[in-house]
Amino acid sequence: MSELGTVSPPAAIMSLAGGVAGLAAAGRSGVRVELVDCERRYGTVAALDRLSLTMEPGELIALLGPSGCGKTTALRALAGLEQLDAGSVRIDDVEVTNLPTSKRQLGMVFQAYSLFPNMTALDNVAFGLRIRKAASSHRRSRAGELLELVGLSPQADRFPHQLSGGQQQRVALARALAVSPRVLLLDEPLSALDAKVRAQLRDEIRRIQLEVGITTLFVTHDQEEALSIADRVGVMSAGRLQQLGVPAEIYEQPANVFVAEFVGSVNRLPGTAAAGRSVDVLGTRLPLPPGHEILAPGADVDVLLRPEAVRLRPDSAGLGLVTSRSFLGSVMRVNVALGGQLAVVAAVPAIEGAMLGVGTTVAVEPVGAPLFVAERSAAR
Amino acid sequence: MAALTLTPGAAVRRRSPSASAFRFGFAPRTIILVLTGLYFLIPLAASARYALEGSGGSISFSSIDQLFHDGTLWSGLVTSLEIAAGAAVITLLLLVPTSIWINLRMPAFRRTMEGLTLLPLVVPTVVLVLGIFGAFRSFPNLIVGTPVILALEYVVLALPFSYRAIDSGVQALDLHTLVDAGKSLGSGWTQLFWRVLLPNLRTAILSAAFLTVAYSIGEFAVANLLTFNTFPTRLYEVGTEYAGEATAVSVFALVLTWGLLLVMSFVGGRKRRQHAATAALPATTELAGSVSEDLAAEVDELAGAVGLGGAGAASAPAPHDEEQGMTDDPAPDDEEN
Repeated sequence: MSELGTVSPPAAIMSLAGGVAGLAAAGRSGVRVELVDCERRYGTVAALDRLSLTMEPGELIALLGPSGCGKTTALRALAGLEQLDAGSVRIDDVEVTNLPTSKRQLGMVFQAYSLFPNMTALDNVAFGLRIRKAASSHRRSRAGELLELVGLSPQADRFPHQLSGGQQQRVALARALAVSPRVLLLDEPLSALDAKVRAQLRDEIRRIQLEVGITTLFVTHDQEEALSIADRVGVMSAGRLQQLGVPAEIYEQPANVFVAEFVGSVNRLPGTAAAGRSVDVLGTRLPLPPGHEILAPGADVDVLLRPEAVRLRPDSAGLGLVTSRSFLGSVMRVNVALGGQLAVVAAVPAIEGAMLGVGTTVAVEPVGAPLFVAERSAAR
Repeated sequence: MAALTLTPGAAVRRRSPSASAFRFGFAPRTIILVLTGLYFLIPLAASARYALEGSGGSISFSSIDQLFHDGTLWSGLVTSLEIAAGAAVITLLLLVPTSIWINLRMPAFRRTMEGLTLLPLVVPTVVLVLGIFGAFRSFPNLIVGTPVILALEYVVLALPFSYRAIDSGVQALDLHTLVDAGKSLGSGWTQLFWRVLLPNLRTAILSAAFLTVAYSIGEFAVANLLTFNTFPTRLYEVGTEYAGEATAVSVFALVLTWGLLLVMSFVGGRKRRQHAATAALPATTELAGSVSEDLAAEVDELAGAVGLGGAGAASAPAPHDEEQGMTDDPAPDDEEN
């Protein structure tokens, strides 16, 4: 059972809706970016395994995956900081595979604080323009504009060590945007920040990205971050793109077990395929997910259910026993033992959860279509 | 609740002022400093006293007077300073790019490099001298027989100190991120080197230069072996004839070296302090700041035209870990506006 993150589908869907509206307003002025059959190996390990990804102009794609899945390698390959063993990179329909980083016209924000310690915030933002030999007055006015965009005009004369982590990353974002890049690359820019600043800066990045309309690749291992900020999310594992889709699709219609278990929380329960595109689990017959292949009746399967698709009802004759519960604001996460090694997690409204104290005997009832139905794993 | 009330109380007890101050604070530190100071100052004071001692225990400046009228001594000092400057320049030209390259591209080779740079401490000096002499034998007029050979010798002999100074500075930087950030902004290697890396290695570079200069000015054995007339060799010759003058020269040399290092240190730190002070100034000084910025930009462009680092690079402060004492932490209310 996966217990990753606490993102809820409504939040993701709302973000998607807001994102599309914002993009329409911004008019999508970015460029198309393509990674085609990209391969990168370190010895026998494939960091990128024939990875292909197309980013539409002005789109923000979040690459999501566990450590070592190849998401940062993909970003660095796009930046030209990583040499590809095979495949190609195209920006605005022009092949840039062998073009050095400095000539790709990119903006990057890194996971580590990357401001130049010897320069003030203003000088940092103006650095790219200085390299391009822009006039001093233009450099300063442009850097001033960008600092205003990220809300740091009063801190223009401060050195990096005089800024907080969040401020440093905002200056880094301003610096990346100052050179009017064709593509913005964000390599886990929020991971070093505390939760509150991270959430604020995440929204700010999205606001600025929509305002500028720049094609953006955002690499993260934080699914809440990915689902809330991106137009589309690419879930990666072992150097491959497992699924690419809008956040709601990734959450509600995972392409495989890995995506289902990696994104959000999921219950993996034993079930049996039944006739008529259905499956039996915990004594309840559920329809197969839309588009799922037909299963041979009687086949042993694993049924993946979201916690919010599990309903609990106090019942002295029920098979479940509440073992613990966590208050998460509007919902309560309730852990229920089903006998033997079997357990299930349910997300119920907080008011209902309040009545399900530890030790309460409950009836467990799955509702709606399962998230995914897979062949029974050997481990079980 | 009980735990909440107990914990602060325990913390207060642990912070009992006088006990902890004595155990880890002021008193032992002062004692160590005083003892160390005495260890260095007593011989120096004794030498100064001997140099200024006249007949019958009176104070006499005759040794000092002779010192200022000894032309060969001054020419030896000039030669030593020239050689020291040359050695420092060669050291920096060789070691700064080497250390950056090794940390960036060949990190696995770092340990080996550290071991190699320690060799001058374990290989006898005479062997090194003859080895270097042999290596440059084919350049008799350019290197061998000129002070250049001595500068090259000192580069090698000061390597254990100079390489460590530079390497620790390089390691203190997040080199990969800075380089990647610079490249992503369109910077080539030359611009990265001048505008980003060198300014952030200022302290390490100054340290390496200090150490090389100090080593070169004071080195006697190699200079004597290669029959050069440097400050230490001349000092030795004077010492064999006039003990008082030799002692006066020794004291003078020490004061001179310390003064030189102090000046270099001050020059290196001045701009840094200026930057920190400017950053801390309130908005009322914005006008003055913009004027100096204009000036810096103009100097920078001029310097850029002649291929130098420019004012931005030259006036850059050292890495932030060395400046923490000069500035406050970011104010919490500045966090998110």
